[in-house]
Amino acid sequence: MLTTQRIMLWVMAATLPGLLALIHFFGWGVLINVLWCMGIAMATEALILWIRARPVQHTLMDGSAALTGLLLGLSLPPLLPWWIALVATASAIILAKHLYGGLGSNLFNPAMVGYALVLVSFPEAMSTRWALPLSLQETPLSLLDSLSVFTGLGSTSVDAFTGATPLDDYKHAIDGAIASQVTTAPIYGDRVALGWEWVNLGFLAGGLLLIQRRIITWHIPVSLLGALTIMALLFGYDPDQSVPLSLHLLAGGTMLGAFFIATDPVSAATSNRGKLWYGAGIGVLLYTIRAWGSYPDAVAFAVLLMNLAVPFLDYYTRPRTRGHKRAGRGVPS
Amino acid sequence: MSTGANQIIRDGLWHNNPALVQLLGLCPLLAVTNTVVNAIGLGLATLMVVTGSNMAVSLIRNRVTDSMRLPAFVMIIAALVTCTELIMQAYAYRLYQILGIFIPLIVTNCAILGRAEAFASRNPLPKATLDGLMTGLGFLAVLVLLGGMRELVGYGTLLADAHLLFGEAARGWTLTVFPDYRQALIAVLPPGAFIGLGLIIALRNRIDHHIQQQQQARQTPVESGHKRVRVTGTFS
Amino acid sequence: MGTQFDFPGGIHPPDNKLRSLQTPIRQAPLPDRLTVPLRQHRGDPGRVVVAVGDHVLTGQPLSEGQPGRSVPVHAPTSGTITAIKSHEVPHPSGLEETCILIEADGRDQWYELAPCPDSASTAERYDHLHRTGVVGLGGAGFPTRDKLQSAEAAPDVLILNGAECEPYITADQALMRERPDSVVAGALALWRLVGAGRCLIGIEDNKPDAIEALRQSAEGTSVEIRVVAARYPSGGERQLIQLLTGLEVPSGGLPADVGVLCQNVATAVAVDRSLRLGEPVIQRITTLTGEALARPGNIEARIGTPLDHLLFEAGLDPQRLHRLIMGGPLMGFDLTTTGLPLIKTANCLIAGTAGEFPDPPIPQPCIRCGLCEQACPVDLLPQQLYWFASAGEHRKAEHFDLFDCIECGACDWVCPSHLPLTDYYRHSKGVLRQEQKEQAEADHARQRFEERQARLEREQADREERRRARQQAREQRHNVAPAEASEAATAAASSPTAPGPDRETLIQRRDQARQKVEEAQAQLAEAREQTPEAVPKLERALNKHQKRLDAAEKALSDAQEDT
Repeated sequence: MLTTQRIMLWVMAATLPGLLALIHFFGWGVLINVLWCMGIAMATEALILWIRARPVQHTLMDGSAALTGLLLGLSLPPLLPWWIALVATASAIILAKHLYGGLGSNLFNPAMVGYALVLVSFPEAMSTRWALPLSLQETPLSLLDSLSVFTGLGSTSVDAFTGATPLDDYKHAIDGAIASQVTTAPIYGDRVALGWEWVNLGFLAGGLLLIQRRIITWHIPVSLLGALTIMALLFGYDPDQSVPLSLHLLAGGTMLGAFFIATDPVSAATSNRGKLWYGAGIGVLLYTIRAWGSYPDAVAFAVLLMNLAVPFLDYYTRPRTRGHKRAGRGVPS
Repeated sequence: MSTGANQIIRDGLWHNNPALVQLLGLCPLLAVTNTVVNAIGLGLATLMVVTGSNMAVSLIRNRVTDSMRLPAFVMIIAALVTCTELIMQAYAYRLYQILGIFIPLIVTNCAILGRAEAFASRNPLPKATLDGLMTGLGFLAVLVLLGGMRELVGYGTLLADAHLLFGEAARGWTLTVFPDYRQALIAVLPPGAFIGLGLIIALRNRIDHHIQQQQQARQTPVESGHKRVRVTGTFS
Repeated sequence: MGTQFDFPGGIHPPDNKLRSLQTPIRQAPLPDRLTVPLRQHRGDPGRVVVAVGDHVLTGQPLSEGQPGRSVPVHAPTSGTITAIKSHEVPHPSGLEETCILIEADGRDQWYELAPCPDSASTAERYDHLHRTGVVGLGGAGFPTRDKLQSAEAAPDVLILNGAECEPYITADQALMRERPDSVVAGALALWRLVGAGRCLIGIEDNKPDAIEALRQSAEGTSVEIRVVAARYPSGGERQLIQLLTGLEVPSGGLPADVGVLCQNVATAVAVDRSLRLGEPVIQRITTLTGEALARPGNIEARIGTPLDHLLFEAGLDPQRLHRLIMGGPLMGFDLTTTGLPLIKTANCLIAGTAGEFPDPPIPQPCIRCGLCEQACPVDLLPQQLYWFASAGEHRKAEHFDLFDCIECGACDWVCPSHLPLTDYYRHSKGVLRQEQKEQAEADHARQRFEERQARLEREQADREERRRARQQAREQRHNVAPAEASEAATAAASSPTAPGPDRETLIQRRDQARQKVEEAQAQLAEAREQTPEAVPKLERALNKHQKRLDAAEKALSDAQEDT
């Protein structure tokens, strides 16, 4: 039997392949971020529960705060100073979760609120702190180096270890070049994007496990990836002009977003049909912002925008109750 | 309507605060409160307009017919806003440039028309003046508070660029609260305004709730002293 | 083999049926005392036709049906009636009902039974079933006659429900595997009775022994055995109809609306025995199971047998008993005492241990995970209904088709936050029904008021009319020839109306008094319903007005006599 706690644990466990790939390719910073964010999330949750006079231990054990922290840790750039992760996590728990009434009542995905908040606030740090794959760093960052970057103590400069992500790089580089020139850059590796391809495949594998365990349904990931694919084929069919489909799917946060973030049940649409629209909306927005917006990746914004549309979707996508001729609509005032 | 001066003051500043309770005039409120100085500038302008319009409306309240009421009020407010705009152009031109469209937009601030309609058109001059002053002050207070929050979180300073409003002498007023602060843009951008205003409203409600509870707590002992009356049996 | 149709959702809980299928159906020994509730069906209790001290025979009617859904009950064994009083009955509410207590004499002498004559018309056969107390034995207890009558024309399909999808329960399975002939006979009897186009027996594929037995028995008849995949709640009436025919019973409608009649297999057997032998429903097969029983199994017992008698028979270990459930674990309800009688709708009794039925964990907040939605067999949005119900927004829940919920409990079972969802829905339904009732009453009261108002106006108009007519008559009299006038005048002078008020005034007085009486009566009627404390006062007022009216009428008649 599934319990709320077990659902959260399964989701956390399913991130493991992706998490391991991230650590393997991008270094200890990922692990530091994940642990730090999870710790902060649980501490903040405990504090707020205490302020709200709710049972702290019982509620904390449901694992939802830890999961929020984990997802944030996976989304944030690996070489981020500690306080940005702290701001992101604390505001995710306080602003996005508890100000709306706690678990189950939040309108927005807490992790993505936290992410968007720091992305908007600290654009410079957020978009340039992605670590290069370890194999491209001249001397790979050790755990100690990562810690010193994280804490801001010591004098390790991050500039030598960071760079644009393939998704970002391609978008700008393709303006003055053709695809074969752009992809000679080492960050693209031999296949699609060095490291990223494995990270995304890892999250894909974890996501499939979740579907197999019936913890999430296929609707949101399938419609999200489907819509993204259609958009990329429609508008980005020429790799000499724009970012190709392979990069859209296998670089950046696509799989993490499709299987772990967009499927957060609290902030997603309710019915199966609603979920299809919800996922498709995220896919379209994802491509739109990536291709024509100024941010390199867009999972957070796409998810948050569709979170806003959920009441609207729920209004129009009620399933047809058996015995009724057609599906009911809306809510009486 | 017999509203005491005390009541007017409390209403304007707290119980019926235009920004926190009526949620009127949110557009300029959210748009220009990214720094304290901007907030003070717009707040003062609004204060002038609402006081002036309340006075004017109160003076003419017995002479305008009902059908002509609203156009007349709008004309008065528009005229006052134009005056304010000209004054700002004369004495705080830089600030006028920063606040831009939001100065003429004071005309559309519902709080002002609302006070004219709901209060000034039914009350004598002194009361209407006081009400305008208090409504304006209440609005100004919220603007400054929100501006302070956003500037502090966004830039780590307070009263930056005070000279734009208060003249050269005020150039040194800037308080750098967090030296070496990395700007948190979210607070300065529109989302920060919404989050900040939400927090202030929540705080106000919390305080109100607290006051109510205290009042109830004060009243209960009196009630518990009552003797229980007979509630069973038949009555004829 | 299988069916091409499907219903949405459903769950696969562990069925735990094997434990009660190890032994054949046993006969329960006759108890010394039996308690027969008057109401064992969905409807109103019948009227008692026996008295305390009467000696009754097995199968003798104890009550007779009243108009409406009121089904008689019969003496389960011969003996003496010791009391007719309120007694606890197995019902989720735990309320008491009027019961007839019988002290068995042990001889079990049968009353003379009257089979239904072959010449009887269909309507007479329906009434015969009613007289012999046949109700749905699957658990709902809907009076069989009323269900058969619900179809205006002969149904296209007759479905016998042998799906028995709920875990633990095996009463129907035991019946089908051990007495397949009687099940098929029941099917044929019902089929003849309603004249359907086809007759199907729906059965879940987790009962291979029953399927095999029924197949053999049905050989040579046109009764079709349809096997469906085991999934809860395939035994729900609407779900089984959907599985076998692909038809959806419309919301708020009956299976008859889509040309289907659905009856439980045990009911079919009862119908057959009632028609052929005249035998009333005085016994049933019940599953006794649960880990607290040493000898679980199916037992055929008389209605009214005390449950502790049955539990003792099955080897109950009171130390291990944690929860006693009547019905299945999903739709059944807890019993707090074992002193209750067996009733017609009791298909299962589970004596569960703490390990088997642990106390539910503390509910956690709903995270809208949607598992309930995937499990709902009606395609509702259970989480949405829960949000509305828990927020007290019952109207919104109604708008989200709350009343299409069949309360199968599948959502409860899958809920990872352990929310008692079905309880919320029941509560919400209760609130809405209460509201509807109050609304109907208010409408009724308003209608009455309006009618009274109209009547008063009519009477006022009548009086006005009469007065005008008299006035005219008088004027005419004044206008006739003076001679006649003087004659009339002398006649009038000689008439004895002169003393006291004239007739006109008396009539007026009487009418006023009558109006007051009517007003008082209306007020009183209203007060009886709404403000009972004002009733005595109003009664006194009514008396006073009535006396005045009487006095006025007397005065008037006196005056008329005098003229």
